[in-house]
Amino acid sequence: MFHWFKQLDRILRGEATRLSALRAGTIDVSVGGLSAVLLILGLLYGLCMGLFSVIASGGRTYAQLLATTVKVPALFFLTLLITFPSLYVFNALVGSRLTIKSVMRLLVAALGVMLTVLASLGTIVAFFSVSTSSYSFMILLNVVVFAISGFLGLLFLLQTLHRLSIAQEPEPPIAPVEHRPSEGEATTIPPPLPGTTEPSAIERVDGRMLGSHTRVVFRIWIIVFGLVGAQMGWVLRPFIGNPNLPFALFRPRHSNFFEAVLHHIWNLFR
Amino acid sequence: MRAFLLPIDNLLRGEETGLTPLEPTPPLRLRRLLLFILMFGLLYGAVMGGYGGIAGDRWKQVIFSAVKVPFLLLGTFLLSLPSFFVVSTLLGLREDFGQSVRALVATQAGVTIILASFAPFTALWYVSFSDYQSAVIFNAVMFGLASLAAQVLLRRIYAPLIARNSRHRMLVRAWLIVYAFVGIQMGWLLRPFIGDPAMPTRFFRAHAWGNAYEVVLRMVWNLMTR
Repeated sequence: MFHWFKQLDRILRGEATRLSALRAGTIDVSVGGLSAVLLILGLLYGLCMGLFSVIASGGRTYAQLLATTVKVPALFFLTLLITFPSLYVFNALVGSRLTIKSVMRLLVAALGVMLTVLASLGTIVAFFSVSTSSYSFMILLNVVVFAISGFLGLLFLLQTLHRLSIAQEPEPPIAPVEHRPSEGEATTIPPPLPGTTEPSAIERVDGRMLGSHTRVVFRIWIIVFGLVGAQMGWVLRPFIGNPNLPFALFRPRHSNFFEAVLHHIWNLFR
Repeated sequence: MRAFLLPIDNLLRGEETGLTPLEPTPPLRLRRLLLFILMFGLLYGAVMGGYGGIAGDRWKQVIFSAVKVPFLLLGTFLLSLPSFFVVSTLLGLREDFGQSVRALVATQAGVTIILASFAPFTALWYVSFSDYQSAVIFNAVMFGLASLAAQVLLRRIYAPLIARNSRHRMLVRAWLIVYAFVGIQMGWLLRPFIGDPAMPTRFFRAHAWGNAYEVVLRMVWNLMTR
């Protein structure tokens, strides 16, 4: 178990996605082990998110808490499951060299970044859940928190895709060994300190433009993953639980995610 | 006395910035910084809660307010810490994590020290004016000033970290946003800090459980639609 958390830590630190580590064309992580850790992180955030329903009901019902705890990891894993075949096919069509296994590992690693950020913001969500009576505020706060974690996760995905494509090139067009700094350069630019030479997990590798393959694959993935993720979240409603409605595992299907967010922003002002 | 004041002096001058502290001392330990927050927070809180005097039930308010100030700072800090840890790891700054946490705690210690130095003003204000509303506003101004002054301190303590890696700048900005967001709500929950003499003395105000942002938005909305 501890070993798997170690793997997640290596991903977050960027050690697992260094160019030297990606030479084999894949991230060296175990999908099963990482999924177990992600499950725990998802459950943890679900717990923080579901706390609102318990407080709003005056501590009488725990059904929503239980449902939310399960729904958060389910949202991520179901989205992955539904989008994975098409993501892989698009990736192959565009002509990237990633195998099916490395696409899976890459996506699970990106989910890892998302869920870790999400779980780490859980304390703040739990604090507001306990102290707020406004349902609309909680919804918007959760949307913001999900957006932050999604943004960082996608940034990681983009940079890792980029690095994978660089690492797999047979010969790098710009050989870094040939670069000799001139005397003037050497005096003005201080040598990088140890530890800062390696780019972080979400930073672009120096001096390289994003390849056109990377860009196309990433755009398609974002659209597919984002749309399916938002809709999956909508199908799995309610996550927070309107205090004025009785508990229901799922709500009837109407409206959509974006309309609802606008509605709650409006609600907060009234 | 000197042994007590020297570390505080060095903290205010930005202990590890090469701004020549009075005497070279070992860098402040985390435990000592926490002790400062507790000590000076209690001090300012007690003065702040002394608004209605200590007759009758009012002495309780002194204790409540004293406890609330360090709780406000440390509670907000602890709630915001996990996300700070994860994001600093993602930005590749894990090696500096210990140092950046120390810088953040030192800033909060700075806030309480500055607040404590304002405590005589607050006492003088209470003696001169007896209006509750103006006491609230005065304390808000004191907290605002202390936070602003602590920004200078934060910048000073963070300078070596930013010089080492410019990503620290982004991280500390994100931290301030999260900290303020949580801190405002925490402050709202912990009301009353001063205690309206017309109301019974309580730790939490009855029916005050709510959301600061919601209240503000509603006020703005009411102003606009009136």
